Amino acid sequence: MVDVGMTLEMVQASQLGMKALGAGLAVGLTGIGAGVAEMAIGSAAVGATAENRDVFGLVLLLTVIPETIVIFGLVVALLLLF
Amino acid sequence: MAGISSGLATNYIYACTRMRVRRSLLIPREDYLRMLNMSLPEITRFIGETNYRSEIDELGTSFSGINLVEEALSWNLAKEYQSILELVPGELKYFTASYLRRWDIQNVVTILRGKMQGMRPGKIKEVLIPAGKLDKIALDRLIAEESPERVAEALKGERFYPVIERELPRAMETGSFAHLENELYKGYYARLVADATEGVKGGEIFLKYIRLEIDIRNIQNLFRLRAGHIREDVRELMIPGGSFKVEELQRLSGLEDQDEFIDALKRQVKMTPLLNALEAIRGTTAIHEIEVALTRVQLDQMERMSKRYPFSILPVIVYLEEKKYEVANLRALARGKEAGLPGERLQGYLVM
Repeated sequence: MVDVGMTLEMVQASQLGMKALGAGLAVGLTGIGAGVAEMAIGSAAVGATAENRDVFGLVLLLTVIPETIVIFGLVVALLLLF
Repeated sequence: MAGISSGLATNYIYACTRMRVRRSLLIPREDYLRMLNMSLPEITRFIGETNYRSEIDELGTSFSGINLVEEALSWNLAKEYQSILELVPGELKYFTASYLRRWDIQNVVTILRGKMQGMRPGKIKEVLIPAGKLDKIALDRLIAEESPERVAEALKGERFYPVIERELPRAMETGSFAHLENELYKGYYARLVADATEGVKGGEIFLKYIRLEIDIRNIQNLFRLRAGHIREDVRELMIPGGSFKVEELQRLSGLEDQDEFIDALKRQVKMTPLLNALEAIRGTTAIHEIEVALTRVQLDQMERMSKRYPFSILPVIVYLEEKKYEVANLRALARGKEAGLPGERLQGYLVM
Protein backbone atom coordinates (compact mmCIF):
# COMPACT_ATOMS: atom_id res chain seq x y z
CA MET A 1 0.00 0.00 0.00
CA VAL A 2 1.25 3.43 -1.00
CA ASP A 3 1.43 5.86 1.83
CA VAL A 4 0.29 9.36 0.71
CA GLY A 5 0.63 10.74 4.20
CA MET A 6 -3.11 11.26 4.65
CA THR A 7 -5.75 9.15 6.31
CA LEU A 8 -9.40 9.07 5.21
CA GLU A 9 -10.36 11.04 8.30
CA MET A 10 -7.92 13.75 7.37
CA VAL A 11 -9.34 14.02 3.82
CA GLN A 12 -12.88 14.17 5.13
CA ALA A 13 -11.96 16.84 7.66
CA SER A 14 -10.21 18.86 4.96
CA GLN A 15 -13.26 18.68 2.70
CA LEU A 16 -15.47 19.86 5.53
CA GLY A 17 -13.07 22.74 6.14
CA MET A 18 -13.13 23.74 2.49
CA LYS A 19 -16.92 23.72 2.50
CA ALA A 20 -17.02 25.90 5.60
CA LEU A 21 -14.52 28.27 4.00
CA GLY A 22 -16.59 28.43 0.80
CA ALA A 23 -19.75 29.08 2.77
CA GLY A 24 -18.00 31.84 4.73
CA LEU A 25 -16.72 33.46 1.53
CA ALA A 26 -20.16 33.25 -0.09
CA VAL A 27 -21.78 35.19 2.74
CA GLY A 28 -18.85 37.50 3.45
CA LEU A 29 -18.14 38.63 -0.11
CA THR A 30 -21.79 39.12 -1.00
CA GLY A 31 -22.12 41.12 2.22
CA ILE A 32 -19.30 43.41 1.10
CA GLY A 33 -20.88 43.69 -2.36
CA ALA A 34 -24.23 44.63 -0.90
CA GLY A 35 -22.54 47.16 1.40
CA VAL A 36 -20.78 48.87 -1.52
CA ALA A 37 -24.02 49.00 -3.51
CA GLU A 38 -25.99 50.32 -0.55
CA MET A 39 -23.43 53.03 0.17
CA ALA A 40 -24.47 55.08 -2.84
CA ILE A 41 -28.16 54.28 -2.63
CA GLY A 42 -28.24 54.99 1.09
CA SER A 43 -26.63 58.40 0.80
CA ALA A 44 -28.99 59.37 -2.00
CA ALA A 45 -31.88 58.03 0.10
CA VAL A 46 -30.87 60.13 3.11
CA GLY A 47 -30.54 63.17 0.84
CA ALA A 48 -33.99 62.64 -0.64
CA THR A 49 -35.57 62.02 2.78
CA ALA A 50 -33.96 65.16 4.20
CA GLU A 51 -35.78 67.19 1.56
CA ASN A 52 -39.05 65.27 1.53
CA ARG A 53 -40.06 62.99 4.39
CA ASP A 54 -42.84 61.37 2.40
CA VAL A 55 -40.39 59.34 0.34
CA PHE A 56 -38.94 57.54 3.37
CA GLY A 57 -40.83 54.27 2.80
CA LEU A 58 -39.91 54.13 -0.86
CA VAL A 59 -36.22 54.92 -0.43
CA LEU A 60 -35.94 52.41 2.41
CA LEU A 61 -37.16 49.76 0.00
CA LEU A 62 -34.70 50.90 -2.67
CA THR A 63 -31.84 50.90 -0.16
CA VAL A 64 -32.36 47.25 0.83
CA ILE A 65 -32.68 45.89 -2.71
CA PRO A 66 -28.94 45.00 -2.85
CA GLU A 67 -29.56 42.79 0.21
CA THR A 68 -30.84 40.21 -2.27
CA ILE A 69 -27.21 39.52 -3.21
CA VAL A 70 -26.52 38.50 0.41
CA ILE A 71 -29.55 36.21 0.34
CA PHE A 72 -28.11 34.48 -2.73
CA GLY A 73 -24.82 34.13 -0.85
CA LEU A 74 -26.62 32.73 2.17
CA VAL A 75 -28.50 30.19 0.04
CA VAL A 76 -25.24 29.06 -1.57
CA ALA A 77 -23.64 28.79 1.87
CA LEU A 78 -26.50 26.68 3.21
CA LEU A 79 -26.38 24.41 0.13
CA LEU A 80 -22.67 23.93 0.70
CA LEU A 81 -23.02 23.10 4.36
CA PHE A 82 -26.08 20.82 4.30
CA MET B 1 -5.47 72.75 -2.02
CA ALA B 2 -4.86 72.33 1.66
CA GLY B 3 -7.74 72.51 4.06
CA ILE B 4 -10.27 70.87 1.79
CA SER B 5 -11.25 67.34 2.56
CA SER B 6 -12.28 65.30 -0.40
CA GLY B 7 -14.31 62.84 1.68
CA LEU B 8 -16.16 59.90 0.24
CA ALA B 9 -18.15 59.91 -2.97
CA THR B 10 -21.23 59.45 -0.77
CA ASN B 11 -21.04 63.11 0.27
CA TYR B 12 -21.36 64.12 -3.35
CA ILE B 13 -24.26 61.76 -3.89
CA TYR B 14 -26.03 63.09 -0.80
CA ALA B 15 -25.61 66.74 -1.73
CA CYS B 16 -26.43 66.28 -5.41
CA THR B 17 -29.60 64.31 -4.60
CA ARG B 18 -30.76 67.09 -2.28
CA MET B 19 -30.16 69.62 -5.05
CA ARG B 20 -32.16 67.51 -7.50
CA VAL B 21 -35.08 67.22 -5.08
CA ARG B 22 -35.03 70.98 -4.51
CA ARG B 23 -34.92 71.59 -8.22
CA SER B 24 -38.01 69.48 -8.70
CA LEU B 25 -39.83 71.77 -6.24
CA LEU B 26 -39.19 74.94 -8.27
CA ILE B 27 -42.20 76.62 -9.82
CA PRO B 28 -43.07 74.91 -13.12
CA ARG B 29 -43.86 76.66 -16.39
CA GLU B 30 -47.62 76.04 -16.11
CA ASP B 31 -47.74 77.89 -12.81
CA TYR B 32 -46.02 80.91 -14.34
CA LEU B 33 -48.59 80.89 -17.12
CA ARG B 34 -51.35 80.77 -14.51
CA MET B 35 -49.76 83.59 -12.55
CA LEU B 36 -49.71 85.77 -15.67
CA ASN B 37 -53.49 86.02 -15.36
CA MET B 38 -53.47 86.80 -11.63
CA SER B 39 -53.45 90.12 -9.80
CA LEU B 40 -50.69 91.06 -7.35
CA PRO B 41 -52.55 89.94 -4.17
CA GLU B 42 -53.38 86.65 -5.89
CA ILE B 43 -49.72 86.14 -6.83
CA THR B 44 -48.70 86.91 -3.24
CA ARG B 45 -51.17 84.33 -1.97
CA PHE B 46 -50.06 81.82 -4.58
CA ILE B 47 -46.36 82.03 -3.71
CA GLY B 48 -47.36 82.08 -0.03
CA GLU B 49 -48.53 78.51 -0.56
CA THR B 50 -45.23 77.35 -2.06
CA ASN B 51 -41.66 77.39 -0.76
CA TYR B 52 -42.00 81.05 0.17
CA ARG B 53 -44.62 80.45 2.84
CA SER B 54 -42.47 81.07 5.91
CA GLU B 55 -41.08 84.36 4.51
CA ILE B 56 -44.51 85.64 3.44
CA ASP B 57 -45.92 84.78 6.90
CA GLU B 58 -42.97 86.29 8.72
CA LEU B 59 -42.89 89.54 6.75
CA GLY B 60 -46.63 89.88 6.29
CA THR B 61 -46.94 92.12 9.35
CA SER B 62 -44.18 94.57 8.40
CA PHE B 63 -44.64 94.85 4.62
CA SER B 64 -47.49 94.80 2.17
CA GLY B 65 -48.12 94.69 -1.58
CA ILE B 66 -45.11 94.67 -3.85
CA ASN B 67 -42.65 95.28 -1.01
CA LEU B 68 -43.82 92.12 0.74
CA VAL B 69 -43.18 90.05 -2.39
CA GLU B 70 -39.78 91.66 -3.01
CA GLU B 71 -38.62 91.18 0.57
CA ALA B 72 -39.92 87.63 0.79
CA LEU B 73 -38.14 86.70 -2.43
CA SER B 74 -34.84 88.23 -1.30
CA TRP B 75 -35.02 86.61 2.13
CA ASN B 76 -35.89 83.24 0.67
CA LEU B 77 -33.05 83.40 -1.85
CA ALA B 78 -30.53 84.35 0.81
CA LYS B 79 -31.76 81.67 3.21
CA GLU B 80 -31.73 79.03 0.49
CA TYR B 81 -28.20 79.86 -0.66
CA GLN B 82 -26.86 79.93 2.88
CA SER B 83 -28.45 76.58 3.68
CA ILE B 84 -26.91 75.06 0.55
CA LEU B 85 -23.53 76.40 1.52
CA GLU B 86 -23.93 74.60 4.85
CA LEU B 87 -25.00 71.25 3.45
CA VAL B 88 -22.53 70.78 0.59
CA PRO B 89 -19.30 68.97 1.52
CA GLY B 90 -15.59 69.59 0.95
CA GLU B 91 -14.71 70.74 -2.54
CA LEU B 92 -18.31 71.43 -3.42
CA LYS B 93 -18.42 73.96 -0.58
CA TYR B 94 -15.27 75.60 -1.88
CA PHE B 95 -16.70 76.03 -5.38
CA THR B 96 -20.15 77.02 -4.13
CA ALA B 97 -18.68 79.71 -1.89
CA SER B 98 -16.61 80.89 -4.82
CA TYR B 99 -19.74 81.11 -7.00
CA LEU B 100 -21.75 82.91 -4.30
CA ARG B 101 -19.24 85.78 -4.07
CA ARG B 102 -21.25 87.33 -6.91
CA TRP B 103 -23.80 88.40 -4.30
CA ASP B 104 -21.12 90.12 -2.23
CA ILE B 105 -20.30 92.28 -5.23
CA GLN B 106 -23.96 93.06 -5.82
CA ASN B 107 -24.48 93.98 -2.16
CA VAL B 108 -21.35 96.10 -1.90
CA VAL B 109 -22.18 98.03 -5.06
CA THR B 110 -25.74 98.56 -3.79
CA ILE B 111 -24.44 99.89 -0.48
CA LEU B 112 -21.94 102.18 -2.24
CA ARG B 113 -24.68 103.51 -4.52
CA GLY B 114 -27.04 103.98 -1.57
CA LYS B 115 -24.41 105.85 0.43
CA MET B 116 -23.59 108.02 -2.56
CA GLN B 117 -27.28 108.96 -2.90
CA GLY B 118 -27.56 109.51 0.86
CA MET B 119 -30.22 106.84 1.34
CA ARG B 120 -31.37 105.79 4.82
CA PRO B 121 -29.64 102.62 6.12
CA GLY B 122 -33.04 100.91 6.55
CA LYS B 123 -33.91 101.53 2.92
CA ILE B 124 -30.57 100.13 1.70
CA LYS B 125 -31.01 97.08 3.88
CA GLU B 126 -34.33 96.29 2.22
CA VAL B 127 -32.72 95.72 -1.17
CA LEU B 128 -29.72 93.65 -0.04
CA ILE B 129 -29.57 89.90 -0.57
CA PRO B 130 -27.14 88.47 1.99
CA ALA B 131 -26.47 85.28 0.05
CA GLY B 132 -22.69 85.54 -0.26
CA LYS B 133 -19.73 85.48 2.10
CA LEU B 134 -20.70 88.80 3.65
CA ASP B 135 -23.56 87.82 5.94
CA LYS B 136 -26.27 89.98 7.49
CA ILE B 137 -24.01 91.15 10.34
CA ALA B 138 -21.15 92.12 8.03
CA LEU B 139 -23.55 93.96 5.75
CA ASP B 140 -25.18 95.76 8.70
CA ARG B 141 -21.74 96.97 9.71
CA LEU B 142 -21.14 98.27 6.18
CA ILE B 143 -24.53 100.01 6.06
CA ALA B 144 -23.76 101.76 9.34
CA GLU B 145 -20.72 103.47 7.79
CA GLU B 146 -21.21 107.11 6.87
CA SER B 147 -19.71 107.51 3.42
CA PRO B 148 -18.73 105.33 0.42
CA GLU B 149 -15.05 105.84 1.33
CA ARG B 150 -15.67 104.51 4.82
CA VAL B 151 -17.53 101.51 3.38
CA ALA B 152 -14.56 100.81 1.10
CA GLU B 153 -12.22 101.14 4.07
CA ALA B 154 -14.27 98.59 6.03
CA LEU B 155 -13.87 96.10 3.17
CA LYS B 156 -10.10 95.97 3.57
CA GLY B 157 -9.03 92.34 3.47
CA GLU B 158 -11.76 91.23 1.06
CA ARG B 159 -10.68 89.75 -2.25
CA PHE B 160 -12.14 92.56 -4.27
CA TYR B 161 -10.81 95.38 -2.11
CA PRO B 162 -7.92 96.28 -4.49
CA VAL B 163 -10.43 96.90 -7.31
CA ILE B 164 -12.61 99.09 -5.09
CA GLU B 165 -9.59 101.00 -3.83
CA ARG B 166 -8.45 101.63 -7.41
CA GLU B 167 -11.81 102.48 -8.97
CA LEU B 168 -13.76 104.21 -6.19
CA PRO B 169 -12.21 107.71 -6.55
CA ARG B 170 -13.10 107.73 -10.26
CA ALA B 171 -16.61 106.48 -9.55
CA MET B 172 -17.11 109.17 -6.89
CA GLU B 173 -15.85 111.82 -9.27
CA THR B 174 -18.07 110.85 -12.17
CA GLY B 175 -21.01 109.82 -9.97
CA SER B 176 -21.35 106.57 -11.91
CA PHE B 177 -20.53 103.17 -10.47
CA ALA B 178 -20.90 101.36 -13.80
CA HIS B 179 -17.17 101.11 -14.46
CA LEU B 180 -16.45 100.00 -10.89
CA GLU B 181 -19.15 97.35 -11.21
CA ASN B 182 -17.73 96.07 -14.51
CA GLU B 183 -14.28 95.81 -13.02
CA LEU B 184 -15.59 93.99 -9.94
CA TYR B 185 -17.41 91.42 -12.05
CA LYS B 186 -14.40 90.95 -14.31
CA GLY B 187 -12.35 90.37 -11.17
CA TYR B 188 -14.99 87.92 -9.95
CA TYR B 189 -14.83 85.85 -13.13
CA ALA B 190 -11.02 85.93 -13.16
CA ARG B 191 -11.07 84.70 -9.58
CA LEU B 192 -13.54 81.92 -10.47
CA VAL B 193 -11.21 80.73 -13.22
CA ALA B 194 -8.28 80.86 -10.79
CA ASP B 195 -10.22 78.87 -8.16
CA ALA B 196 -11.17 76.25 -10.75
CA THR B 197 -7.64 75.84 -12.09
CA GLU B 198 -5.65 75.77 -8.89
CA GLY B 199 -5.84 71.99 -8.58
CA VAL B 200 -8.84 71.30 -6.36
CA LYS B 201 -10.50 68.05 -7.41
CA GLY B 202 -13.46 68.66 -9.75
CA GLY B 203 -12.10 72.05 -10.82
CA GLU B 204 -12.05 71.18 -14.51
CA ILE B 205 -15.83 70.54 -14.44
CA PHE B 206 -16.39 73.86 -12.64
CA LEU B 207 -14.27 75.51 -15.32
CA LYS B 208 -16.60 74.20 -18.02
CA TYR B 209 -19.49 75.99 -16.32
CA ILE B 210 -17.48 79.21 -15.93
CA ARG B 211 -16.51 79.19 -19.63
CA LEU B 212 -20.14 78.72 -20.64
CA GLU B 213 -21.29 81.49 -18.31
CA ILE B 214 -18.63 83.91 -19.58
CA ASP B 215 -19.42 83.10 -23.23
CA ILE B 216 -23.15 83.60 -22.84
CA ARG B 217 -22.60 86.78 -20.82
CA ASN B 218 -20.28 88.17 -23.52
CA ILE B 219 -22.71 87.31 -26.31
CA GLN B 220 -25.57 88.92 -24.37
CA ASN B 221 -23.44 92.01 -23.85
CA LEU B 222 -22.64 92.17 -27.55
CA PHE B 223 -26.35 92.08 -28.37
CA ARG B 224 -27.01 94.75 -25.75
CA LEU B 225 -24.28 96.98 -27.17
CA ARG B 226 -25.76 96.56 -30.65
CA ALA B 227 -29.22 97.42 -29.35
CA GLY B 228 -27.75 100.54 -27.74
CA HIS B 229 -25.85 101.39 -30.97
CA ILE B 230 -22.57 101.58 -29.10
CA ARG B 231 -19.69 101.22 -31.51
CA GLU B 232 -16.84 102.29 -29.27
CA ASP B 233 -14.03 100.08 -28.04
CA VAL B 234 -15.81 97.22 -26.31
CA ARG B 235 -12.69 95.42 -25.15
CA GLU B 236 -13.04 96.90 -21.70
CA LEU B 237 -16.63 95.69 -21.39
CA MET B 238 -15.95 92.08 -22.31
CA ILE B 239 -15.06 89.37 -19.82
CA PRO B 240 -11.84 87.51 -20.59
CA GLY B 241 -11.50 83.80 -19.83
CA GLY B 242 -14.20 82.36 -22.08
CA SER B 243 -13.77 80.50 -25.35
CA PHE B 244 -13.79 83.79 -27.31
CA LYS B 245 -10.75 86.05 -27.35
CA VAL B 246 -11.50 89.65 -26.39
CA GLU B 247 -10.12 90.80 -29.77
CA GLU B 248 -12.53 88.49 -31.56
CA LEU B 249 -15.41 89.96 -29.61
CA GLN B 250 -14.21 93.44 -30.51
CA ARG B 251 -14.17 92.47 -34.18
CA LEU B 252 -17.68 90.99 -33.90
CA SER B 253 -19.02 94.14 -32.27
CA GLY B 254 -17.78 96.14 -35.26
CA LEU B 255 -20.12 94.38 -37.69
CA GLU B 256 -22.99 96.64 -38.73
CA ASP B 257 -25.58 94.24 -40.01
CA GLN B 258 -27.44 91.99 -37.53
CA ASP B 259 -27.51 89.00 -39.92
CA GLU B 260 -23.84 89.37 -40.68
CA PHE B 261 -23.11 89.56 -36.95
CA ILE B 262 -25.09 86.39 -36.20
CA ASP B 263 -23.38 84.55 -39.09
CA ALA B 264 -19.95 85.58 -37.83
CA LEU B 265 -20.91 84.51 -34.31
CA LYS B 266 -22.18 81.16 -35.56
CA ARG B 267 -18.85 80.46 -37.20
CA GLN B 268 -17.15 80.78 -33.80
CA VAL B 269 -19.65 78.73 -31.81
CA LYS B 270 -19.51 74.95 -31.63
CA MET B 271 -22.37 74.21 -29.26
CA THR B 272 -25.42 73.01 -31.25
CA PRO B 273 -28.15 74.36 -28.91
CA LEU B 274 -26.53 77.80 -29.01
CA LEU B 275 -26.32 77.65 -32.82
CA ASN B 276 -30.03 76.83 -32.96
CA ALA B 277 -30.86 79.63 -30.54
CA LEU B 278 -28.81 82.13 -32.58
CA GLU B 279 -30.70 81.06 -35.69
CA ALA B 280 -34.02 81.42 -33.86
CA ILE B 281 -33.27 84.97 -32.71
CA ARG B 282 -32.14 86.11 -36.15
CA GLY B 283 -35.28 88.10 -36.82
CA THR B 284 -35.76 89.29 -33.23
CA THR B 285 -35.06 92.90 -32.39
CA ALA B 286 -36.35 93.01 -28.80
CA ILE B 287 -33.29 92.72 -26.59
CA HIS B 288 -35.15 91.11 -23.69
CA GLU B 289 -36.29 88.24 -25.93
CA ILE B 290 -32.72 87.68 -27.13
CA GLU B 291 -31.47 87.69 -23.54
CA VAL B 292 -34.14 85.27 -22.36
CA ALA B 293 -33.43 82.92 -25.28
CA LEU B 294 -29.69 82.94 -24.53
CA THR B 295 -30.27 82.42 -20.81
CA ARG B 296 -32.53 79.49 -21.59
CA VAL B 297 -29.77 77.98 -23.76
CA GLN B 298 -27.29 78.42 -20.92
CA LEU B 299 -29.58 76.73 -18.39
CA ASP B 300 -30.40 73.86 -20.74
CA GLN B 301 -26.76 73.34 -21.56
CA MET B 302 -25.83 73.36 -17.86
CA GLU B 303 -28.57 70.84 -17.20
CA ARG B 304 -27.14 68.61 -19.92
CA MET B 305 -23.63 68.97 -18.49
CA SER B 306 -24.88 68.17 -14.99
CA LYS B 307 -26.24 64.89 -16.30
CA ARG B 308 -22.91 64.06 -17.87
CA TYR B 309 -21.20 64.74 -14.53
CA PRO B 310 -23.94 63.73 -12.07
CA PHE B 311 -21.77 63.91 -8.96
CA SER B 312 -19.90 67.17 -9.38
CA ILE B 313 -20.41 70.85 -8.66
CA LEU B 314 -22.74 71.16 -11.65
CA PRO B 315 -26.02 69.91 -10.11
CA VAL B 316 -25.46 72.42 -7.29
CA ILE B 317 -24.76 75.30 -9.68
CA VAL B 318 -27.72 74.35 -11.88
CA TYR B 319 -30.02 74.59 -8.89
CA LEU B 320 -28.49 77.87 -7.70
CA GLU B 321 -28.91 79.41 -11.15
CA GLU B 322 -32.45 78.14 -11.63
CA LYS B 323 -33.42 79.43 -8.21
CA LYS B 324 -31.95 82.80 -9.12
CA TYR B 325 -34.09 82.95 -12.26
CA GLU B 326 -37.17 81.78 -10.37
CA VAL B 327 -36.80 84.70 -8.00
CA ALA B 328 -36.11 87.05 -10.92
CA ASN B 329 -39.22 85.76 -12.71
CA LEU B 330 -41.46 86.20 -9.68
CA ARG B 331 -40.07 89.67 -9.12
CA ALA B 332 -40.68 90.60 -12.76
CA LEU B 333 -44.20 89.22 -12.54
CA ALA B 334 -45.01 91.10 -9.34
CA ARG B 335 -43.45 94.35 -10.57
CA GLY B 336 -45.15 94.03 -13.93
CA LYS B 337 -48.54 93.43 -12.36
CA GLU B 338 -47.97 96.39 -10.04
CA ALA B 339 -47.28 98.54 -13.09
CA GLY B 340 -50.42 97.20 -14.78
CA LEU B 341 -48.64 95.51 -17.69
CA PRO B 342 -50.65 92.89 -19.61
CA GLY B 343 -49.77 89.20 -19.17
CA GLU B 344 -48.66 88.69 -22.78
CA ARG B 345 -46.07 91.42 -22.50
CA LEU B 346 -44.73 90.05 -19.19
CA GLN B 347 -44.38 86.57 -20.62
CA GLY B 348 -41.56 87.76 -22.87
CA TYR B 349 -39.49 88.69 -19.82
CA LEU B 350 -39.75 85.38 -17.99
CA VAL B 351 -37.11 82.66 -18.17
CA MET B 352 -39.33 79.58 -18.13
